[in-house]
Amino acid sequence: MSPDPWIWLAAFLTMMVFSFLFRDNPFYKFAEHLFVGVANGYYIVFYWHQALKPNLFEPLKNGNLIYLIPLILGLLYFTRFIPRWSWLVRLPLGFMIGWGAGISIPANIQAFIFRQIEGTIVTPEILNSGWEGIWAVLIFIGVICTVIYFFFSTEHRGVLKYGARFGIIFIMLGFGASFGYTVMARVSLLIGRIQFLLGPWLGLIK
Amino acid sequence: MDLFSGFTRIDRRLIYLLLTLFVILPFFVKFRIPQNIMPQTKNLFEFIENLNPTSEKAVLLSIDYTPQTMPECHPMALSLLTHCFKKKIPVIGVSFDPQAPGLAIEAFNWVANKINSIARSSSDSIIYGRDYVYLGWKSGRIAALLEMGEKISNVFPKDYYNNYTDSLSLMKKIKNYRDISIAIILAAADYPQEWLMYAQARHGLKLGAGLTAVMAPKYYPFLQTGQLSGMISGMKGAAEYENLLLRYGYTETTGKAEIGMNSQTLVHLLIIGLIIIGNVGYLATKKKDKKMFKGTQPSRQKGRIS
Repeated sequence: MSPDPWIWLAAFLTMMVFSFLFRDNPFYKFAEHLFVGVANGYYIVFYWHQALKPNLFEPLKNGNLIYLIPLILGLLYFTRFIPRWSWLVRLPLGFMIGWGAGISIPANIQAFIFRQIEGTIVTPEILNSGWEGIWAVLIFIGVICTVIYFFFSTEHRGVLKYGARFGIIFIMLGFGASFGYTVMARVSLLIGRIQFLLGPWLGLIK
Repeated sequence: MDLFSGFTRIDRRLIYLLLTLFVILPFFVKFRIPQNIMPQTKNLFEFIENLNPTSEKAVLLSIDYTPQTMPECHPMALSLLTHCFKKKIPVIGVSFDPQAPGLAIEAFNWVANKINSIARSSSDSIIYGRDYVYLGWKSGRIAALLEMGEKISNVFPKDYYNNYTDSLSLMKKIKNYRDISIAIILAAADYPQEWLMYAQARHGLKLGAGLTAVMAPKYYPFLQTGQLSGMISGMKGAAEYENLLLRYGYTETTGKAEIGMNSQTLVHLLIIGLIIIGNVGYLATKKKDKKMFKGTQPSRQKGRIS
């Protein structure tokens, strides 16, 4: 067993969280509230020391007055709480939306739309490469049918009906894969905690 | 209550108990369930395996996972660092998640200390500043990702330990993305998406990812397009990478992920078993209910009509 009191504290808090599996209880509630409090405390201190102080207050202290612009823009967010001045919040919001849209729209189109369309197109070279070609055709059909399923401007009749139905199969396969992976992820977290309890705390495993 | 209706009413606490037993069992009863290695893990391994240590290019590791997702992502970090350090490929670490720096430092120190404990000379050792650098956390990650393409030290003027970045011998050779052979993002949130948008689409940087299992399905399309050169997904991916390190002689034993996968497999078998039992119970009781309903149907209908 570990002689480290922090390990014991972590182990007890883990057990408190696990106690929820039996039923809701004050031990679980205590651990939950403690977690939220500690996490918030951590973030406040972290952002002060790692973001605000070195990136804003220290340059300002050194006489870099240009940093007054982001400081004022940031402070303008708080005008939301003063009804008379609340219109001023549009300035930082406008700046953020403009900057955000300008920087992300071209990058999004380039990285996610063009490249994904390129990846879906079946070329003669892929068709000649055996299994890869078959998978490429299947992906192409899957993408078209899935898009048909989400095409709601026209009633799903005739070809569209069969396309949409075939699309559902691909969507379900996608959901199935996501669900399987999600189960695996949650079990992994449980395994991690059990490894901690059996290892660093009880010393039963290495 | 008969057996079949009992199947549909198993107390959830019994299920949790079984789940816990199935997780614990593989830690004490030694057995090995063979793992198949998925192509995306192999591709990432081979990418690093084929890197030339004399090319003076570094591997950039963006460590962005949190304590909650440690069981999945930490073994990935340890395996990747072991692989790079044993091949003498320099590593630069960065973080954009506020919870990550502590975990990153732990991973770097653990692997470096392990290798240094058996090193005989300075050239065998892993030395901070020469073989690896951890630059720490930075706010405003989109701007940082873009700026790092121009000059890394503009974004990180000082490293995690407050050394001037330009004063470190490794950073004298590594200026921007052109000096990075691959950036691998170990993340528990959508950070790789931003790397794809700003570091790869704009600067052509090669990317790899180590993701939690929940995130993995979202990133499969990027493997197919070649936007990701490889991917380690969840604890399974981490176990696969550990296996590859063992096969290629970089380690003598596998790590925590491999042991965890035995529990994972047993739990999955348990879940499949419970799903089958639940369905059998449901179908059997449904059939029984139908029979009962059939017997009472005329009188019921009569009642309804009257």
